[in-house]
Order: sequence, then structure tokens, then C-alpha cells
Amino acid sequence: MLRKEQNDLLTQTGPGTPMGQMFRLHWLPALLASELPENECPPVRIKLLSERLLAWRDTQGRYALNDEFCAHRGVSLWFGRNEQNGLRCPYHGWKYDHTGQCIEVPSEPAESGFCTKVKLKSYPLVERGGVLWAYMGPPEKQPPLPEWEFALMPADRRYMSKRLQESNWLQAMEGGIDSSHVSFLHSGELNSDPLFKGSKGNQYNMGDMKPVFEVVESPGGLFIGARRNAENGNYYWRVTQWVMPAFTMIPPRADHPVHGHFWVPIDDENCWAWSFDYKVTRPLSQHEVEAMDAGKGIHVEYVPGTFRPAANKDNDYLVDRAAQKRGDTFSGVFGIAMQDASLQESMGPIIDRTKENLVSTDNGIIMARHRLLRSLKAMMDKGTTPPGIDLAHQRVRSAAVVLPPDQPFKEAAKEALVVQAGKEHVTV
Amino acid sequence: MESESARMSSAAEARFRIDAPNSKPRVVKVIALDQRSERVVKELAQGRWNRAAFFTASAFGGAPRKGESFAGWLSDLAGRTKNLVEEVNSADLVVMVATAGENAQAASLIGEACSLKRVTTTALILGSADVPDETLSKTLSQLRPWALMLVIASAEEYVEDMLLALRA
Ligand code: FES
Ligand SMILES: [Fe+2]
Repeated sequence: MLRKEQNDLLTQTGPGTPMGQMFRLHWLPALLASELPENECPPVRIKLLSERLLAWRDTQGRYALNDEFCAHRGVSLWFGRNEQNGLRCPYHGWKYDHTGQCIEVPSEPAESGFCTKVKLKSYPLVERGGVLWAYMGPPEKQPPLPEWEFALMPADRRYMSKRLQESNWLQAMEGGIDSSHVSFLHSGELNSDPLFKGSKGNQYNMGDMKPVFEVVESPGGLFIGARRNAENGNYYWRVTQWVMPAFTMIPPRADHPVHGHFWVPIDDENCWAWSFDYKVTRPLSQHEVEAMDAGKGIHVEYVPGTFRPAANKDNDYLVDRAAQKRGDTFSGVFGIAMQDASLQESMGPIIDRTKENLVSTDNGIIMARHRLLRSLKAMMDKGTTPPGIDLAHQRVRSAAVVLPPDQPFKEAAKEALVVQAGKEHVTV
Repeated sequence: MESESARMSSAAEARFRIDAPNSKPRVVKVIALDQRSERVVKELAQGRWNRAAFFTASAFGGAPRKGESFAGWLSDLAGRTKNLVEEVNSADLVVMVATAGENAQAASLIGEACSLKRVTTTALILGSADVPDETLSKTLSQLRPWALMLVIASAEEYVEDMLLALRA
């Protein structure tokens, strides 16, 4: 459990909140690059960290991310005309450039310089790895561009999707490091999903249903190791990475693409679940990409034209009780992502953590909260830079590996847990 | 019409979650395995806890030989000798606190008692940053066979945070 003040501290990310400040020190995935496909394309409304923003791309291809509303009388600039290096408000014609600077107020004489006094709040927005990354913090603290391994892969080796999750970011993220739910909630998928099945690791998974866990602090966050018995007294380890505050990476299975997530607050009651998949040394196969497009693995099918999953709270997640009874799915909901999302949304928009009864296997979650709270305190009291911003913290990998019984996996699997240029993930 | 899931998962409905205790306090027995962890545990014991009790096994000298008794090595923090099996028997969770590089041999006796009584064990290792890996390996190999969950924590405060999180 958490006390109410602690829960508030970790779940509130709007402007001025401590957790919001921590998020604002990072480059955050804001949009898929495909949402702004060409110069002068239609702008996109986006909310991040409880701020309503407008993303657009000007005549020269420069990305812009600014206050959604016109400084004049507050019209949404989503209706704006994207023309000649600027976005023009359709109401009275005020025009803004990609930095949010007002460059034209038609009603005022140009010589008056009135427009120079008007500027919309705007943030840097940069493309990398098919994602548009936003930095919403103080300019003097802007870190170098993110170096998550997937984002540095050529386009044909990576796949990225995002979906709306109608819950606070923290309960979504905690699902990403909750290793003990996999043998229950997702048991059906280990053997049926085209992006999971057929790994030796799955046999260890099924052969030993009661994994033992080890939680170890890493420079950027946590390693969460789930240990099962392998041959000859060795251990089969699945090591999940959490990098503060919102990056999680799932251990690989066989030669399947490796995947992970970012959990980015939209506001305190909604978040974006970003889901990436990649291979280091080969392009994703057509078969794999088709499966991802079809919503397999950690991806979902959508309500057409939106990022809202097709199975959502308005249709009771298409729950199929007969399939649940047959054991095809454990919860009656299909697909790994929606199995997680449906349960996390069912908790309510912000789960009341004063009512929880955590157990020993929840130490990954307990440690993540402990580290977040500790780093928040250091950031607020002493201005300490939180973990996860240092590029070295981003060059991490999850791993699936068989190790001798007495070694700390953090050391024994040292190479497997960091990026090795040109080499695939260590996997079983 | 709005679906049942949509309505039930709204913030408005969250207010109607029954406000009654959904669990009874669990008995957590925290055992320090060496002197450095004993100091941490002693400090913790000053706090207010629901059902946590604190012990030390730092006097453990090694496994007794056949016929020798176990008595004497487990004690509460005031130094009164305690009976391991009785203590484990009345626990919901046993937490062993060890320092990397210190002798954690008592873990096997505590662990055996826990598995005999089907009590969950968690092990916390402190101070791993101060020792080389081989030293940590030794501590790990003494604890791993017995702990369902093992945490290597850098901050001593983690022990307290974990106990609070578990409603100890
Ligand atoms: S069993 Fe974990 S939330 Fe119900
Ligand atoms: Fe899951």
C-alpha cells in the first residue's frame, strides 16, 4: 500500500507537480511520425502531462508543438490553416510560426510590431526512430536526444504503435513490471500468439509455474529477474528492465522481436501505452509486421481512425465468457495488451493504493515506487537529476538467459543487459 | 447506452468502493542475519508497526552437528532467546535481512523452518555496493534456495518502505 499523499505524489503529473517535473526532464514519445506525414499536413491535437497541445509540421518540414489555443480569443488552432511557414488561426487570421511566435496580426499595422509581443508556449518536438519526441521541461535542462536502442534502428527493423489507455500512467506502468501475472493472465497467449509461441523459454515457463523473483537496482531503475529451474541445477532467468520513470522492456523469447513500452501520462486519468518491437540484426519479417498490424503480440486493433483499442470499456472489452470457460483466455479478453489494459482500467482512473494488500512477489512494484519517491525527494530538495535521463541508462536490454545458480544476474548477465551494437538480445 | 464497464470504471463510481477493511494485519517476522543488519533492524523496531516483530540471528555460529540443539541463536532484540519453529509457525511472512559479504548461514535453518511450516520468505540484501561480486555471490548462494523473493537494495530505508507497503 501507499499512503494517500504518496499516491497523489506519484499519480499527479500536471504542471507544477513534482512527478510532472520529473517527466518534464525527459524526452517523451508524443506522436508517431506518421501522424504528421508531410509538410503542411493537418495539425494534430495532443494532450501530454495535462497540457493541451497542438502538433504540426510547417512548409519546410519543421515540427511544432505548442499551446493548442490561439492567444487572441482562445480558438483551437486545430482548425488553423497550415500555410507558408506558419499556422493561421481561422477566426481573425493571427499567424504563428513553428516556435509559437506570432508573426502576423492582420488587424494591427505591421509596423506596430504588435505580433512580436505574442508567443504561444511551445516545446521542442523532434523525430527519431519513427517517433516524435517532446521535451516539456526547462530549456536549460534539456537533455541530449534519447538513445533507446529501438529508436536507433533502421526503419525496417522496428515497429511502434500507441494506444489510448483510460487509466493513470502508474497503474499501467506497474503492470509492465508485474512479472507474476504473466503465468495467469497471459497463459493462453504464450502458446498461441504468433509473436510469442515456440520459444524454449516458454517450456521453462510452463514447466515451473512458481517462479522465484529477484529485484535489483540498476543505475536507471530496476532489473526484475524471474528465475525458474533449468537443466543441471542452473537457473533460467527472465530479466525485465524498468528505466525511470516510464520505460519497461520485456524479456525476449527465442528469435521473436523484442518488445517494450513507454507509459506516458495524457492527464491523471489517461495515458498513452506506447509499444515497440525490434530486431537488431535483421529486418522484421512480413509475417511479423502483419501480425503486429493485426494487433497481435503487445499491439492492438483500433477503432478505425483512432488510437482507441477496438476492444474497450464501451463494449466491455468484447469479453467472451465461453472462451474464458474453455481456457482459451484467462480473463475472457483477447490479446495481451487488452488483457492488461482492461484490468488496469477496471481499477478506476486512479487506483486507491491505500486499499491494496501487496505480497512478497510485489517487491518489484514496491521497489519502483520506493525509487520514484526517493528520486523525487532528491530532485525537489537538492535538484538532483533523476535516473533515466543519462543516455547510459537508456542503453539497456532485457534478457532471457540460463545462468549458474550462485551468480548475481546483474553481473553474470552484464553484457546481456546492455546494448551490444550489432548483436541480438541474449535469449532462450 | 453507456456500457457497464464504462460506467463502473469512472472516477464517479470509484467513490463507491466499499470503505471497509479488506484484510487483517499480517504477522511479519523480520530477522537480521548479521550485525550490520541487526543495527538496521533495531532502528526499525523503534517504529510503530501493526504486526511486525523483529529478531536477530547474528549470534548464529554455524549449523549445529547432529544431536546438537538449535537453541540459543535466535533472539529478540532485547536478547531473549526465541524458539525458531514457534516464531515461524505464527508468521505470515518471514523477512531475512542480510548484509552482502556477511555470514548468512542462519538462512538455511530459517528457510527450512519456513518451508516446513509453509511460510513465505523474503530476503533483503543490503550493502552490495560495498563488496566485490564474488562476495555477493556467497551471500546469494546462501539465501537463494530459501527466498521466494530476493531484493538487493542500495538504501537501508528500503526495509522500512517494504514493510510499510506490506502493511506490516
Ligand atoms: S489477484 Fe491480483 S489483483 Fe486480483
Ligand atoms: Fe501483462
